Amino acid sequence: MKRFLGLMLVATLALPAAAAAQDPAAPGGAEKKVFVEARGNVTPVPLPPGGPAPRMADGKVDLSGVWFSGPTGKANAWSVVPDEPLKQDPVPFRPEAAAKLKSMTRAELELNNPGVACQPVGTPGMWTINPYPHQIITKPGLYVHLIESDNAWSVVHTDGRPHKPADELEPLYNGDQTAKWEGDTLVIDTISLDERTWIQGNGWFHSDQAHVIERLRRPSKNYLEYQFTVEDPKVLTKPWTSAWRTYSLGNEDLTENFCTNNENADQLRKLTEVEKSK
Amino acid sequence: MRTTIGFVFAALLAAVPASAHHAFAVEFDAKNCSDITGVLTKVDYQNPHAYIYVDAKENGQTVQKTFQLSSTSNLKRGGATLPVMNASVGKEVLVRGCASRNGEDNRYAASFIKLADGTVQRLGQDVEGVFGTKVWR
Repeated sequence: MKRFLGLMLVATLALPAAAAAQDPAAPGGAEKKVFVEARGNVTPVPLPPGGPAPRMADGKVDLSGVWFSGPTGKANAWSVVPDEPLKQDPVPFRPEAAAKLKSMTRAELELNNPGVACQPVGTPGMWTINPYPHQIITKPGLYVHLIESDNAWSVVHTDGRPHKPADELEPLYNGDQTAKWEGDTLVIDTISLDERTWIQGNGWFHSDQAHVIERLRRPSKNYLEYQFTVEDPKVLTKPWTSAWRTYSLGNEDLTENFCTNNENADQLRKLTEVEKSK
Repeated sequence: MRTTIGFVFAALLAAVPASAHHAFAVEFDAKNCSDITGVLTKVDYQNPHAYIYVDAKENGQTVQKTFQLSSTSNLKRGGATLPVMNASVGKEVLVRGCASRNGEDNRYAASFIKLADGTVQRLGQDVEGVFGTKVWR
């Protein structure tokens, strides 16, 4: 086994032209890269549609289930197939927001990532920054979203009630949320977001004016789709809407995942100092 | 040199899978990876990252190596439960690690481990692309 592993590694490391080796269309690309086989690697097998989505007593689509990112109904973090990039428009940052992002090194950017500091990921971070499965429970009039990342949750009424009056609003990580059904799509409307959260895990910060509209639909029993729109006149030149993201039905329970001790923050601070000194 | 994020940022905006807590490739050097053999001394399962510690011999001296792993969620789902890992404590293992970019010695991101029973177990992100996935996750 040791020899086997050694051979695998030698074969892998002896091929520095990794990008070319992974591209079957590369010139002279007959060279086949040998990858390490390890327990835990996942080869994706998409689930079938599974039939129509179930419905609740009130006739609305029941979104309940444990949902994994991607089509396999399983954790995909260690997939051996690269993720397909989402096809969506560039985010229309205002020039000053774009300049702020560009002025930061990669380490500085990471240092501001809420996840690195064990901070709540908020809305829409519970979808966009959370790498783990989602448990959704819907009942007539109610939407419950549970995630493993720091065991966070959000509960939203789905009866279309208005937001709290302006004089009662306070900044919240998940924001002030209300939801309604538009046909078979659940639309969740969020305002009054705490400015410490990010929209996505790439540095996309937001202002106190951020307005997030999330949409969830279940096109078939085994699939859930999610999309979000951000309006934020202090950071964006115009509203931006994401691509629909695909999630699939798993049969595992969520597992405890409290964020308690991230050494990355100290490590990234050291890295920032190293970068600045060069 | 101050490395700006223009290219990487654009790529991330386009791709951002709902998978990564954050990118290991920021902290660890995909071009400075090696096999490290030694005695597994401790398994510390916590979030957002677990850690393992290995005593390796270097020029006759014992050097403690720290490896950052993925999260307990990913580790457990991938089969690297705490009991599986603890079974190799006190025994020789081989860990594939990519060195920290911040100048701190003996600190790595682990991509896989060969446990004492010979099992090759995935432990973290594909920083150097040895599993066939892109480096940036």
